[in-house]
Amino acid sequence: MLFALHSLAGKRSAEAPEKIVVSASRIANLGDGFARTWRRPPSEQELQVLIEDYVRDEVFYREGRAAGLDRDDVIIRRRVRQKMEFLAEDMSAPEPSDEQLAAYLASNPERFRVEDQITFHQVFLSATRRANTMESDSKQVGSVLARDDGALDATALGDPFLLGEEFRGVSPSKLTSIFGEDFSRRIAAMETGRWQGPISSGFGQHFVFIGERISGGAPLLDVVRPAVRREWANAQRLEAERKLYASLRERYEIVVEAPSAKAASAEISR
Amino acid sequence: MKNLLRGFVLVFAALLTASLAAPAFAAEQVVTTDIGTLDQEIAGKAFPAKPPYSPYADRNFPTRPLFGDTHTHTSFSMDAGAFGARLGPKDAYRFAKGEEVVASSGQRAKLSRPLDFLVVTDHSDGMGFFPQLMSADPVLMATPQGRKWYDEINSGKGAQAAVDIITSFGRGELPKGFPTPGTPAYRSAWRETIKAAEEANDPGRFTAFIGYEWTSNAAGNNLHRNVIWRDNGAKASLVEPFTTLPPLGSPNPRDLWKWMAMCEEKTGAEILALAHNGNLSNGRMFPIIESFNSKRIDREYAENRTRWEPLYEATQIKGDGETHPFLSPNDEFANFERWDKGNLDLTEVKKPEMLEFEYVRSALKNGLKMEAELGVNPYKFGLVGSTDAHTGLAAVEEDNFFGKTSSSEPSPDRAMHPFVKTDKAVIMGWETTASGYAAVWAAENTREAIFDAMKRRETYATTGPRMVVRFFGGWDFEAADANNRMPARVGYTKGVPMGGDLKDAPGGKSPSFLVAALKDPIGANLDRIQVIKGWVGKDGQTQERIYDVAVSGGRKIDADGRSRTSVGSTVDVANATWTNTIGAGEMITVWKDPDFDPALRAFYYVRVIEIPTPRWTAYDAKYFGIKMPAEVTMTTTERAYTSPIWYTP
Repeated sequence: MLFALHSLAGKRSAEAPEKIVVSASRIANLGDGFARTWRRPPSEQELQVLIEDYVRDEVFYREGRAAGLDRDDVIIRRRVRQKMEFLAEDMSAPEPSDEQLAAYLASNPERFRVEDQITFHQVFLSATRRANTMESDSKQVGSVLARDDGALDATALGDPFLLGEEFRGVSPSKLTSIFGEDFSRRIAAMETGRWQGPISSGFGQHFVFIGERISGGAPLLDVVRPAVRREWANAQRLEAERKLYASLRERYEIVVEAPSAKAASAEISR
Repeated sequence: MKNLLRGFVLVFAALLTASLAAPAFAAEQVVTTDIGTLDQEIAGKAFPAKPPYSPYADRNFPTRPLFGDTHTHTSFSMDAGAFGARLGPKDAYRFAKGEEVVASSGQRAKLSRPLDFLVVTDHSDGMGFFPQLMSADPVLMATPQGRKWYDEINSGKGAQAAVDIITSFGRGELPKGFPTPGTPAYRSAWRETIKAAEEANDPGRFTAFIGYEWTSNAAGNNLHRNVIWRDNGAKASLVEPFTTLPPLGSPNPRDLWKWMAMCEEKTGAEILALAHNGNLSNGRMFPIIESFNSKRIDREYAENRTRWEPLYEATQIKGDGETHPFLSPNDEFANFERWDKGNLDLTEVKKPEMLEFEYVRSALKNGLKMEAELGVNPYKFGLVGSTDAHTGLAAVEEDNFFGKTSSSEPSPDRAMHPFVKTDKAVIMGWETTASGYAAVWAAENTREAIFDAMKRRETYATTGPRMVVRFFGGWDFEAADANNRMPARVGYTKGVPMGGDLKDAPGGKSPSFLVAALKDPIGANLDRIQVIKGWVGKDGQTQERIYDVAVSGGRKIDADGRSRTSVGSTVDVANATWTNTIGAGEMITVWKDPDFDPALRAFYYVRVIEIPTPRWTAYDAKYFGIKMPAEVTMTTTERAYTSPIWYTP
């Protein structure tokens, strides 16, 4: 490859030199680029360095292209493809109307559902601390809690839990991330206003007292507009990219030759 | 045209948010920057006699860790695009929020649980190759073609407009004012990055930070840093990222710090940087002798490094960076996900003498020594883990690992495909590590609260699981505190959290620590909690020592502070399963340094070790029905590393 480049350089130098014009607007561009990084215009000397670097870029770029170095380069191909896809994306998203967003929300209700909010406190029995007595301890605590008339300082019955004993306005998905999915499912089915449990988790056993549950449900558009807008735009973007590709692909007749090994085995199997 | 409108809306919305939210943020700052003091004051004034009935009423300290990734690349990164990444920043944020996406390899991908935050950090160099052909140019709008395209786009015929534009572009028939790709491209890529974060950011539920990676890679030696904004797009869009290529950029971190200072001064933003992969820097990540000028680190370097780089990414897909068996021969957990064959591009092989300047533990130790000499500790950093995924997918759970690049997304041959190969060495695909995440103790899920927690280093690294780790240091912790009903409250009241400082040892007292961990609710049990101490001896030499402070299964801790009995293993490699029949779900203890000398500088950090579990290679083997060669590691012991607490005489 080096040899090829040298011979190329030799050949081209014999011809009339090509012109590289660094226009005033290009220089302004270079200066702008500097200013956007450093928030000040370049000094005279810095600008000279930028121009020199630009010329260097241009010389290598032109010579490289002339030598065909851009062909069959997977990185260049992918960049060009990305530029095209990016263009499609940019074409895809005018500001949606309220009607469009409302329709999108109506057809994807689960996606934007507002989660329940659960407030509860717990009595925790640690599997680590009560390795051998868990069963009897759990029974005992359960029977004490069943008689709780509200005057009991129930939390003193259990063990400390690193994340605390009271949880306020927590959604099922947060509960899943704190206690695991099982816990989250069990508590979702429990009544408010009395001690229930125990629920087992990876940490031990939990008796819970749900003080309040605020039911979620389908939200109004105004409440979830940014999320609906984002998901709507994402759907539009994928659709635009698909359409662009489909319309460009129409311009081609695609011929795919079977790889020779497969072709041979296809022959055999036939 | 449309982007002009978008731009206006964006800036306007950002300004609006900023002005509305300013008072709340100001209050938040006071609370979160000095939690311990404020908590005590409030308690003292409002409840002089006894605490409120509800022990949670006055609670303003962080109660749950937030998990995220400070380091995800997308197709906007040159190299990611070259490896076939198709997902951009928007997709990366959607995935982190728990949405299902189609990965670049065409497979459906979803996290087991959403993350709480994400920073998309595409490489600053070359970000501009991704041009936005449409610019905010009013001249274009005045042309018939420009007008026509605008109308087509707004009536949902975007694809038609795109084809028309591409065709016109090819024929050289573009309207006057149409920007040709060049410098404006860079600005537009950065603007797209900012826009994706602004759209995904959802205060209280999910934080999308604005950021980028400054990828200094002189001679193949990794000095990479990620830069993160506390602020919104209005401020971030006032500058463009700092690059590493001269003449505009520089590979020298000192120049990055200059740029950061300029950025804060001229735009009013707050930013921080965190480095990663010292293991691929060949002795240059935590230098004593600076590689750029061959001189000893001076006070100016130390001051700037500690000012701008409060955190370090200790574990990620390209290996774990806590310590190395050569540096820590007495540490039986040190031989973990090692990448020690050479520098980033394997153009230079590793020499043992380089290791000291590459790993967290040795850097923390050298930092103490340098502080004695310079008056400033250049390596006083907290710890996080992150992915460095180049797929747009922050997916590093062992059973849900989407690899380093789009070409290493799940497939039968990814493990045995070389990741880097030169004439000097080879790193195989199976050597990539399904790691890690950043855990942050922030009081709420907002850019401001998480950023401030990062600045005060109240963070820890995990290799993927979401275990909860607490670590407080003080002078008055006693055994009973481990049984307190509110461990966090007693921790903040009596001590400082991870990332904090202890000074002025009261006469005759040794520092004591409240240490606790809770397993990942869907993960493996814990084997043990360790405190790692580093210090500078009277002879000026650095030292390190490991203490087992809590061990599961009733094992004994010997008089020397170690428990040498292994927890065992339940891993069934062939079926890629394990059981939680060994280990513990939670552990808490108070530990006092038995070897404290008040005259010597020291640091303490916590390492939590899980019981052995199947490594991602075991899940691959099981799923694809393949047999891995004997040299492939098939089990792992996941872990967490907290930020240190420093003692300064």
